[in-house]
Amino acid sequence: MDTSNSQKAQLAALSAPSVIFTVVMIAFPFCYTIWISFQAVSATGMMRFDGVANYVRMVKDGQFWNGLWITIYLYVLSLTLQLVCGTALALLLFRARRLPGFIRSLFISPFMLPPVVAGMMWLIILDPSLGAANYILTSLGLPPSNWLASPALVVPTLALIDTWQWTPYVALIVLGGLQSLPPSVYEAAEIDGASRTRTLFRITLPLLLPTLVTAMVLRSVDLLRFFDLIYITTQGGPANASTTLNIYGFRMGFEFFQFGYAGALMITLSALVLGVVLALNRLRNAVAW
Amino acid sequence: MTSTPSADRWIGYLNTVLLMVAGIIVVAPTLWMVLSSFKFSHEVTAYPPTLFFTPTLTNYVSLWERTPFIQYGINSAVVTSASTALGILLGTPAAFVVSWTRITWPAIVTLLARMAPGTLFLLPWYLMFRQIDMIGSYWALILTHAVITMPIVIWVLLPFFDNIPRSIFEAAQVDGCSPIRVFYRIALPLVSAGLSVSSILAFVFSWNYFLFALVLSNSDTKTLIAASFNFIGEGSTNWGALMAAATLIALPPLVLAIIVQRWLVSGLTLGAVKG
Repeated sequence: MDTSNSQKAQLAALSAPSVIFTVVMIAFPFCYTIWISFQAVSATGMMRFDGVANYVRMVKDGQFWNGLWITIYLYVLSLTLQLVCGTALALLLFRARRLPGFIRSLFISPFMLPPVVAGMMWLIILDPSLGAANYILTSLGLPPSNWLASPALVVPTLALIDTWQWTPYVALIVLGGLQSLPPSVYEAAEIDGASRTRTLFRITLPLLLPTLVTAMVLRSVDLLRFFDLIYITTQGGPANASTTLNIYGFRMGFEFFQFGYAGALMITLSALVLGVVLALNRLRNAVAW
Repeated sequence: MTSTPSADRWIGYLNTVLLMVAGIIVVAPTLWMVLSSFKFSHEVTAYPPTLFFTPTLTNYVSLWERTPFIQYGINSAVVTSASTALGILLGTPAAFVVSWTRITWPAIVTLLARMAPGTLFLLPWYLMFRQIDMIGSYWALILTHAVITMPIVIWVLLPFFDNIPRSIFEAAQVDGCSPIRVFYRIALPLVSAGLSVSSILAFVFSWNYFLFALVLSNSDTKTLIAASFNFIGEGSTNWGALMAAATLIALPPLVLAIIVQRWLVSGLTLGAVKG
């Protein structure tokens, strides 16, 4: 398309507000955080260049490694659960074909809830002494659990809550992938006499891989930055057992006002998110068909 | 398939049963929240928990009487509506220009906001807003929430603009229509569906967002979501009121989500998946 100078000027004018906003509110703050991660920042905001001191402190900080481990543990556990349950649910929905609108709404409801609200409702469901979850467990003859109050179980419990909330989302993405698969491959499999399980594992799932990787990217970005649900339910406890990097960085910044160190933690976490996204992008290119 | 028709039918039944179980798991916790919000305080902590009870509105009344719930609600409405409007104002022309010129980097930079943890932005914003004495103001919340809404608007609208046949733009240009005129006379009316979807999604995400208001609001501008944290502190003794608050906070996003459910998945995945 021919773009004259006046056209260029008009297009620039149309995009200028958003570009200015992006620079001021997103790009500049991002760079500013990189910068303060190399500063010693006092609570009043006075800054002094401090080299890589914040990063050295981080590497020596046991709580950082603990936070990194919890972040990855929570991430891998939740992602695995959500992919497995989401794919299974998508296969069920796909086979059912006709889905009344209100049923679809029901499946949408968990991930449209504010995570904060999900945290509030699960707090009372999982209450160790009066919660409905332990009542169900004990009436089935199983031992009750301390759920979020147990240092050993708090991460799996958070993973379960997040899985409850986001499995339908993964399922709807996978369902979209299933619906776009060419029917001809199934017909060919049927003619060749392939069994159901064989068709599932040899044809459907491999063809779904690109969709699954997309779902993984979208969930990874949220799961590595897991915050709301933890802050509402445990604030990182008990005994720091759910203090992810994001929670740790937040507390360093806004409870202890160590902005430089909090900045270093957040830059590290962002690098982790970016690394995972880039790795998954490579994987997506590898499994594309 | 190699299986007999009767095996096929049994698998069909099994499929339906499993779907019903999945549906119950998906809905039960939310339903429990709503039910609990209508229970008297002795009933809500009853053990074993009760499924049948005399409903009451006490919890909702106590929210009204004992907490500035209405004020928080107004704060949420102001911040969410204004940040959605700002997101639409900034994002719509941006999406049009990206679609027209195929220069995508400005849109990609906005994804930073989706990939970096919120705390990373909160640190410099806090220092910046403190410098100009804006912490606790509506504007601090509106501007920061627009960082959530604008990328949603851009990425949701982009495919809608891309779907407009290029020939329409070219014809308009031949007739001497400038890009700005093409934008608001031709393109904008054609993406009206996209505008409603993106504003609803932006509204939901701004409404649900917790972290920024947690730090940048004060007792006068606190949003409902940020105030939830206080409700939990008080709610340890009053589950019914806590669940009433949770139900009311969840209502707007749930209702809106049901309205846009057809576009929800493609919208939520920023166009990466066609729902």
